[in-house]
Amino acid sequence: MRLSEMEPGNNIYLEREPWGGFLTWSAGLHVALFGSIIIYSAIIGSRHGENWGSTEFGDAMSATLVSRAPVPLPAPAEQTQNLVANESKGLTESQPKAVEQQPEALPIPDRNAKKKPEQRTSPEKPRTPPPEDNRVPFGQGGPVSGPYGVFTANNAKGGFSFTGAAGDFGSQFGWYVDVVRRKVSENWMKYEIDPTISSSSRRVYIVFDIMSSGEPTNVQIEQSSGVPSLDQSAIRALQRIDSFGPLPGGYRGSKVSVEFWFDYKR
Amino acid sequence: MIKRLAALVLLTFVSSSLLFAQTDWIRTGTGLGVEKVRLAVPDFKAAGNDAQTAPLLTVFNETLWNDLDNAGIFELVSKSFYPLSVPGTPPELQLAAWSNPPVNASMIAFGNFGVSGSDVAMQGWLYDVRNTGSPMVLGKQYRDPASPANARLQAHRFADEIIFRLGGGINGIAESKVYFISSRSGHKEVWQMDYDGAAQTQLTHLSSIASLSPRVSPDNTRVIFSTYAKRGLELVMYSLELGRMVSFPAYNGTNISPAWSPDGSKIAFSSSMHGHSEIYMADSAGANPKRLTVSSGHPDSSPAWNPKTGAQIAFVSGRTGLPQIYIMDADGTNVQRMTDTGYAVSPSWSPNGQLLAFAWRRSYGPGAPGSQDIYLMDVTTRQWVQLTHDSGTNDFPSWSPDGRHIVYESKQGGRSQIWSMLADGAKQHALTTSGENSQPNWSWK
Repeated sequence: MRLSEMEPGNNIYLEREPWGGFLTWSAGLHVALFGSIIIYSAIIGSRHGENWGSTEFGDAMSATLVSRAPVPLPAPAEQTQNLVANESKGLTESQPKAVEQQPEALPIPDRNAKKKPEQRTSPEKPRTPPPEDNRVPFGQGGPVSGPYGVFTANNAKGGFSFTGAAGDFGSQFGWYVDVVRRKVSENWMKYEIDPTISSSSRRVYIVFDIMSSGEPTNVQIEQSSGVPSLDQSAIRALQRIDSFGPLPGGYRGSKVSVEFWFDYKR
Repeated sequence: MIKRLAALVLLTFVSSSLLFAQTDWIRTGTGLGVEKVRLAVPDFKAAGNDAQTAPLLTVFNETLWNDLDNAGIFELVSKSFYPLSVPGTPPELQLAAWSNPPVNASMIAFGNFGVSGSDVAMQGWLYDVRNTGSPMVLGKQYRDPASPANARLQAHRFADEIIFRLGGGINGIAESKVYFISSRSGHKEVWQMDYDGAAQTQLTHLSSIASLSPRVSPDNTRVIFSTYAKRGLELVMYSLELGRMVSFPAYNGTNISPAWSPDGSKIAFSSSMHGHSEIYMADSAGANPKRLTVSSGHPDSSPAWNPKTGAQIAFVSGRTGLPQIYIMDADGTNVQRMTDTGYAVSPSWSPNGQLLAFAWRRSYGPGAPGSQDIYLMDVTTRQWVQLTHDSGTNDFPSWSPDGRHIVYESKQGGRSQIWSMLADGAKQHALTTSGENSQPNWSWK
């Protein structure tokens, strides 16, 4: 009996091998694997869905190829570098902040007190405030003293500025901005404006884009002057222009946007 | 945790896409004052020691200066104000020396020029001297076989590049030509010259008693003009590519004043093939002449196409007595009278289609000794302005392709000569001096 009980075949069923640990590990790893797949598809997978084929990802697409092709696809707008130049002076000289002198509060002498209030002999020297590290000091500003500025001519006036938020086209390619201003001036026919408008000064804001070929597009009135004939004359000035000349070679964006104002005063 | 991560990723994408949506903005404005660019053009420096360099450099410097001076968009700073050390390459350029008084320039064109071997090489730059950050606007170099003609050509090309950049995308005219009639060979023949009067060459050798009104085709390949042949004044065609006359049908009667349509496919001209002088239109080979005007008994002549649209033709008509300027649509309809008085002839339409240049004698007749001058008229408002004053008899204005210049015939004293001026009447100067020269026509490009 004993011998038969001790048969090797029976022994297999009787022996207890330690499976439990492996099963737990296996289940745990599978859960971790599926979990990571779900997380991956939820977070990173969505990124692929939104951005496949964009110029920022993948090496197969070339941004220049697309923008040079005659297909009117919007190329990614490029930011021009802001060169904070040292040679030209800033707009304003930053003066050290004047230290406010508080009128010295003299304590009201207590009637009962016998001690006299202390007399200060020498006033404290005003301390110069430490320079703020985010301020461009006078003489080290950007291209404010460049070749452009507000000007007047007869009874019409104009000027321009650049937005600080976007790129720095104006300071890098100031000559092109001058070209734009001259060309629009040449094509603005003042006789198109209603001669009976009142004497107060009127200003109309026009916005348009200049494509890389130099062609003005999307000409729109941003803010009307209230005089329809003045608005119309400004629009027509832009419509007369076929091209401002191609955008400067060093500029790699596909277009620039221009805000132009026309001042008119009779 | 996952939600927070997803939100973070989303936020990153939204902000980065906002960043990329931004574009460069220029904010600018204007009044009516159009100031000119103050440009300094120091003489180019000689490069190399070749003996040929000096004479060619003189030609180059002179041509470049004249091209830029005549462009009409620059105020050239007199050379007497320039610093003593003139730059030949960008490292030698000191921006402050040119942007400060007395030069006060906003732009400078400089470079070097020299003969090496059998070639003449030129390097030229255009710098914005007020922009210390990135001053370079243009850099060019050319290399051609050494000859005075190529030195002039290089100066013309460099000037045209500068004018193209700073003139708002309008091509320069330094390589354009003027066609005209000259009698200096003894017969009236068709001649050609550069826009500045250089390189005057005779094209035709017809030995006819009269040749009139040469008109070059828009592609600069052919010149059509009127010449006195067997049947009277006939239209004939000269090929600039072949250098000889090519066939053109001869119509009856007197055929004069041809004009090319801007696409080069049609020719308008005045002809008396059916009795009176009327405006006809044929295709560029002369086939299918079609009558456009009907003015029973009164002459119509001198058609001129609107080069911008090709949809209108200006012409001269004597239907109310003295000749006056009219415009009509290119099919002959919608005729409008432009001038109201005097004696007006020779209309020429500006390249942008806005202005007509013509010759006008405002008071004409006995007791009214008015002189004939060149006038401009705005086509839409009919406001006009006089360009020439007290300078003899002027006629046959013709616009330059950039719309900034007009070439015309002026008779001051005994002989008529070809003159050129800016379209505001400034810088009038003669281009020809020898013989009798008349009826100029500026090429289309």
